[in-house]
This record gives sequence, C-alpha cells and structure tokens, in this order.
Amino acid sequence: MELAGLVQDIHDSGVGEWMRSSLKAMPVVEALHVLAATTVFGTVLLVDLRLLGIPNLKRAVSRVEGEVIRLTWIAFAVAVVTGALMFAANAQTYFINTAFRLKLLAILAAGLNMLVFETVIRRDVAAWDRGVPPPRAARIAGLLSILLWIAVIVLARWIGFTKGYDFVVPDDPNIKFDF
Amino acid sequence: MSGFAAWLHATAFSQTIQAVSWIVPLLQSIHILMIGIVFVSSLMISLRVLGRVHADEPFEAVWHRFAPWMRIALAVMLVTGLLLVAGEPGREFGSTSFWLKMALLLVAFAVTRQLGRSPEGPRARPAAIGVILLWIAIIFLGRAIAYDVEVWRSLSIHA
Repeated sequence: MELAGLVQDIHDSGVGEWMRSSLKAMPVVEALHVLAATTVFGTVLLVDLRLLGIPNLKRAVSRVEGEVIRLTWIAFAVAVVTGALMFAANAQTYFINTAFRLKLLAILAAGLNMLVFETVIRRDVAAWDRGVPPPRAARIAGLLSILLWIAVIVLARWIGFTKGYDFVVPDDPNIKFDF
Repeated sequence: MSGFAAWLHATAFSQTIQAVSWIVPLLQSIHILMIGIVFVSSLMISLRVLGRVHADEPFEAVWHRFAPWMRIALAVMLVTGLLLVAGEPGREFGSTSFWLKMALLLVAFAVTRQLGRSPEGPRARPAAIGVILLWIAIIFLGRAIAYDVEVWRSLSIHA
C-alpha cells in the first residue's frame, strides 16, 4: 500500500473521524500532549545537564538517569499516542507539512543519539559515573540531545502556524476556534 | 473586548507582536520549554518529599538544586506570558481559563514556598502531590484558553 493512500486511510478512519467531530477530544488530547512532551524535555534535560557537569559532578550519572528514565519513557509513550490521535484528525495536512516532517526527523535523530549513548558511550560509565567530567563523546551526546529536543518543540509549535485544516470547521457561532 | 484590552490591542507594541510572523511562535516555544523546566523541577522536589528520588541527599540539597531553576524559568514565563497577552489581550482577558490559570499559579507558588519551608510534617505529602496536580491543571487551562467558550459555555467571559 503506498504512503499517500495510507495517509488517506488514517484520515478516514473512525479514530480520525472521532477526533474531528468530538469537540471535547481535541483540547484534552492537545493538553495531554503538552504535558507529556514537556515532561520528556524536562527529564531528558536533567540527564543531559548532568553529562555536561551542570550543576556539578556529585551525583552519579547512572543514578540521575535511573531516577527519571521510567518517567521519560511513559511521557514519551503518551506523547506518541496523543500525537497519533492529532495526526489522524488531520492526516493529509500534517503529512505535507514541512515543519511536521522535520520534527519527526529531529525526534529520530534524538533517538539515535540516545541509542548511541546507551549502547556505545555509556559502556565504561563506571570510570566516569561521578566526581570526574564525562568523556567528550558523552558531553557531545548531552549537548546534541538538548539542541535536538529544543528543535522538536520549536518545530512542533511551527506546525501550528503553518498547517491548514482539512476538515470543515463547524459554523456554530458559539464555537470559537482559536488555535 | 474590554476597554483596556481594546486599547492595548491597538498599540504599536501589540500590533508588532501580532504582525511579525515568528514572534508568537517563538514566545510560545520558549513558554513551553520553560514548562518542562518548571514542571520537572517541581516534580523532583515533590518526589523527594515523598522519598522517591534523591534519597541519598537531604531535602535542602534537592531544594537548592531545583528551586533556582524553577524561579528563573517562571520569571522567563512571566515575560513571555506578558508578551503573549500583549499580542492578543482580548483573547486572554475574555477567557475564564486564563484568569483561573492565574489564580492557580498563585496557589502553586504559595504551596511550593510552604513545601520548601516545611518538607516534613503531616501536610507535606499532600502538598507535594497537590502542587503537581496544580501544575497539570495549569497546563490544561493554558490549552483551554483557545477553546474557552467550548469548555466553559456560559461561564466563559467571552460568552
């Protein structure tokens, strides 16, 4: 099945239909997305700053990471699900939106960076877990992570300002759509 | 729109914020990044009160680790928030969600300050949980501003 057809099918799905027609769904889904995304950013930032030695090198990297990792993953999962719901409502519009595509690429890049950190860079963490500055590769991974996740959030906001809508906004005078 | 909002909306300052395409998205982006810092900082402080993180450190160390970041991020949010309101005063002032959000912010500040002073005692744990729920409510209300009439119906100031 080719991609454009798949996008159309997602748009036409019951889920997409529900997101568009239920006036209650969108605000809740969006707010959950903001909560989840900000939690991902905040927890990731915490670990990245530690890799950069901010505010200090006192607490072990593995401890700092261990305390938030579950939260990061749960928040990321919620962000993906809520993101998928928003995508379903407006699939074609997101699909062709440049900011949206760049955002997905940025998330991919951030994920790859984290994968490399976890599987390669972190192998000898016992040597630099606390008290000493992490190796340069770890510091680069930390900085890259911060920059990529900032890019994700900026691009995400830019989507809101560059996409149109591929459904008809209800004509009810009592409803003000003000994204 | 109320008189003050209309006046503000007509100023060159407000018109510039509205007219220059990248200003509002940039302000919103900064606002959202700061939410990440404020929320997770508050979360870490609360989790320490609940004994879930940083058990190796006294509460004071955790407070001094995260409270300054919260303060600075909140200060940045005050600036970005004011600029966002200056750009669309009618939208904010006329929304119930906005005023409710401001009220809950004040409550969150008060509870946070109290938590910082008394991290032990019978009220500390409920306060630690409560302040997180407050931040979540504040985030939801922030999003609800754009949907104010739909969310509040006749309770919306707009309506």
